[in-house]
Amino acid sequence: MTIAAIVFLGLGVVFGVIGNLGVLILPDVYTRLQASSTASTTSVFSALVAAMLTVGWHPMTGKIAVIALFFFVTSPIAAHIIARYAWQREIVPWRRSFAERRQLREHHDD
Amino acid sequence: MQSVTRWNLVRIAVTTVYLWVGWVLFTWSVAPRTLALGLIHSSVVALLTYPVFVEHDEAARRSHVPRLQFLAVYLLLLVFQMYVASFRVLWQIVRGRINPGVVHFRTRLRSDIARVVLTNSITLTPGTITLLLDDDHLIVHWLDARTTHSRYAWTLVAQPFERLLKRIWV
Repeated sequence: MTIAAIVFLGLGVVFGVIGNLGVLILPDVYTRLQASSTASTTSVFSALVAAMLTVGWHPMTGKIAVIALFFFVTSPIAAHIIARYAWQREIVPWRRSFAERRQLREHHDD
Repeated sequence: MQSVTRWNLVRIAVTTVYLWVGWVLFTWSVAPRTLALGLIHSSVVALLTYPVFVEHDEAARRSHVPRLQFLAVYLLLLVFQMYVASFRVLWQIVRGRINPGVVHFRTRLRSDIARVVLTNSITLTPGTITLLLDDDHLIVHWLDARTTHSRYAWTLVAQPFERLLKRIWV
């Protein structure tokens, strides 16, 4: 039980760190949003699962489950609102150049 | 009793039940006192907020009574997909091998709640964010756009969710 909690907490830390790293290194608003919002959702969910495993069968378990459910509903909505605003302001998403995309496709085919 | 009045009563009842389930989960006790208190407060809140919670024209029974067994499976699938996609996104960020793109496709789901849940699930899964939902038309930003073809993008992004969602809410 404790080992599982440690594993989930470690996953949360890794996803949180990489998500914030993504905000720094990715090129435009949409890709940064991908890194920050969605990776950190996984991070927070992992932390909540770790808390649930630590507590065991207890009144707190139900509350944490409700918090996780609430987070599942609200976090994507926040990300969607930001992305929708950017899309309606007609901010053009960053893309790779044609040559690079072709190279990537060939890489996928290998 | 007029049909509009009856429909309003049903809306209040549905809202009350949803709020009460939330209350029971959050207090995590089945003592009669707690349950009664929860019921009273849920019904008061339901009286105030039922026009927001249940739309006037949202009258299909399936959009208020989900099939719970499929909903449980769906939540497990969602968590599983979330972790798989998280590891993929993590790898893409670390290697810097991203290929973002915007894809358009149409969903086959009919009811509003099912479409909203599909949109929410797509955004929750790392690597895809829904930019716009207009009736059945979705615009999705994809961190690793393997295709721009509409039908194939639907197969990759939305199909695993839709197969279960149309069993839960039609």
